[in-house]
Amino acid sequence: MERVLVGLKRVVDYNVRVRIRSDGSGVETDGVKMSINPFDEIALEEALRMKERGEANEVVVVSIGGSECQQQLRTGLAMGADRAILVETAESVNPLTGARIFLELIKREAAELVLLGKQAIDDDNNQTGQMLAALWGRPQATFASRIELNGSTAKVTREVDVGLETIEVDLPAVITTDLRLNEPRYVKLPDIMKAKKKPLDQIPVADLAVESAASITAVTFEPPEQRQKGIIVKDVAELVAALKDKGLV
Amino acid sequence: MLVDELKSIVGTSGWTSDPDELLPHLTEWRDVFHGETLLMVSPGSTEQVSAVIRACAAGNTAVVPQGGNTGLCGGAIPDQTGQQVLLSLSRMNAIRCVSPNDFSMIVEAGCILADVQAAARQAARFFPLSLAAEGTCQIGGNLSTNAGGINVLRYGNARDQVLGLEVVLADGTIWNGLRGLRKDTAGYDIKHLFIGSEGTLGVITAANLRLYPEVRESQTAMIAVNSPQHAVDLLVELRGSLADQLQAFELIPSRAIRYLRRHMSALRMPFTDDYPWYVLLESSLGDDAQTLESALAAALEKRLGVDAVVAKNVSEQEGLWRIRHSISEVQKFEGVSLKHDVSVPLGKIGAFIEAAEAAVLKLMPDARIVAFGHIGDGNVHFNISQPKSWEGDRFREKAASLSNVVYEIVSSLQGSISAEHGIGQLKRELLKQYRGEEEIAVMKSIKAALDPGNILNPGKVL
Repeated sequence: MERVLVGLKRVVDYNVRVRIRSDGSGVETDGVKMSINPFDEIALEEALRMKERGEANEVVVVSIGGSECQQQLRTGLAMGADRAILVETAESVNPLTGARIFLELIKREAAELVLLGKQAIDDDNNQTGQMLAALWGRPQATFASRIELNGSTAKVTREVDVGLETIEVDLPAVITTDLRLNEPRYVKLPDIMKAKKKPLDQIPVADLAVESAASITAVTFEPPEQRQKGIIVKDVAELVAALKDKGLV
Repeated sequence: MLVDELKSIVGTSGWTSDPDELLPHLTEWRDVFHGETLLMVSPGSTEQVSAVIRACAAGNTAVVPQGGNTGLCGGAIPDQTGQQVLLSLSRMNAIRCVSPNDFSMIVEAGCILADVQAAARQAARFFPLSLAAEGTCQIGGNLSTNAGGINVLRYGNARDQVLGLEVVLADGTIWNGLRGLRKDTAGYDIKHLFIGSEGTLGVITAANLRLYPEVRESQTAMIAVNSPQHAVDLLVELRGSLADQLQAFELIPSRAIRYLRRHMSALRMPFTDDYPWYVLLESSLGDDAQTLESALAAALEKRLGVDAVVAKNVSEQEGLWRIRHSISEVQKFEGVSLKHDVSVPLGKIGAFIEAAEAAVLKLMPDARIVAFGHIGDGNVHFNISQPKSWEGDRFREKAASLSNVVYEIVSSLQGSISAEHGIGQLKRELLKQYRGEEEIAVMKSIKAALDPGNILNPGKVL
């Protein structure tokens, strides 16, 4: 196939302890380590392996957001993507708007496969891939833990609640990736340097003439209640006494 | 009777003589040193430590202080007479106060190092002391051995993190020197006597520690290099180009990577090709990842390194560090390992590793050398794994002769026979051998002045 589109969302690094801003207006991102959404990184790794096997000619990474997202796109280019597109917007983008933007890019790029992480670890929506498939009118294969391309179809093993399910979808299609699909590669310094010279197009979101979906307004953010420190009891009698004391039995 | 007196001082929850409970406290984790004890006491306060010491002094009974028991030289293990009292500081594990605006915190000796780091982080501050045993070792032990670890390059040793100490002296007197002054030239700076004295001059019960602004973001990279000398040249180059933002700079030999591939195959290796040496570095440049990247690119262009990876997220950073932190452990799977924790002047690291390797291989051609460590500090863990086909005991018999050639080379390069692990009972003879008479004489007179009855950790260091 000619072209694979891969979405890369900039999120607070998976290992960072998320903190709420003191005014409750959102999650603190100032001076916090930001990385590629881990599921998206897996999607990119899979696309790169397809290219290395000769199943795809070009891998294009896409991010939607402010100019700071260039950092994640450059990382994607260093991993091996051929070029990058940044759809620039200062607004927060909900899944439906994101799906509409991707649909515009699919048309522009004549993409035959879109690989997205199954969800972003910041909002955990798990919606964009599904919405995009519906808008595009093409099949979707979500939660992929194995992908096998056979010409005009893809055989995808999905991680579902009851175990593993294998389906076959016609291409073009949207595939969203799960954790066990692969382990993304380390990036080599020479590739990081080369990536600085790869093309990165910046497109203002207005140029895509995408209708912004009515957004949900977050009223307030607060951290979950802190877990109380446990106590060690000597015996059952003490346990029962402690539970009674707390009015739990 | 002393035992009863001690029991009444610390109360029912503060002592044990149960062999099962004692076992982990009487054996060092590498299984080299075993001891016996009259009684293990775990006081819950400085006053109790003081009362314990006073009682032991009156009974002319030796006291062996112990923290997390992660030492490598037997410094915290009592002798085999069963007449020494083991003083565990584990119960004194309170963080007394964190003062973010003073950039300091007061902690008790039994605090686990990782908990100290976490308490600092909670207050948006950074406590830089960090080493492989940090989940178990205690700050009291770190201070009494002047521990080093991975951040010495930028922040210094345990000693450099101390603003003040609270110490129980050999007669039970409590010296409260917790004042958190950065400048204080009033008389002898006696806290430094206790730091690194391995419990032979007093028992550290609390410390006022220096904190730093939080390192919000750091970068981790692994670089393949051709030789230890290239690693040193790379360090010199990067210290310049990164304006001293290097936090850590560690040398890893290819043999360690081979061991890890063999025994810890779940660890992911960043390079598929094999290279003779690797450097793991951490830099605190924060957002400006480009600076590290271009500094590394320039260094590679100068042929100081062959290839490099830069971690692209925290998981990968942790993965790279896991490789470094697993080296100590993985050597166990390859039989007996003879360890030398030595330091030489930075510029002589290449010469040291080359000379020591040649000398060891001349004596024992099948010896397998694993030289790694904090080379940013001139510290090399020059370890030798036994020849593959040998029995462990046959190797142990030759250990002394191997060590001698290593220490002779260290000495000829003006190095130290103990960089960060201390002396304990393991290296007493070496200390005598490699430190001048006048220096040993000063140490002895300090010991005699502070502990005239020789009850504090006797048989250690001197």
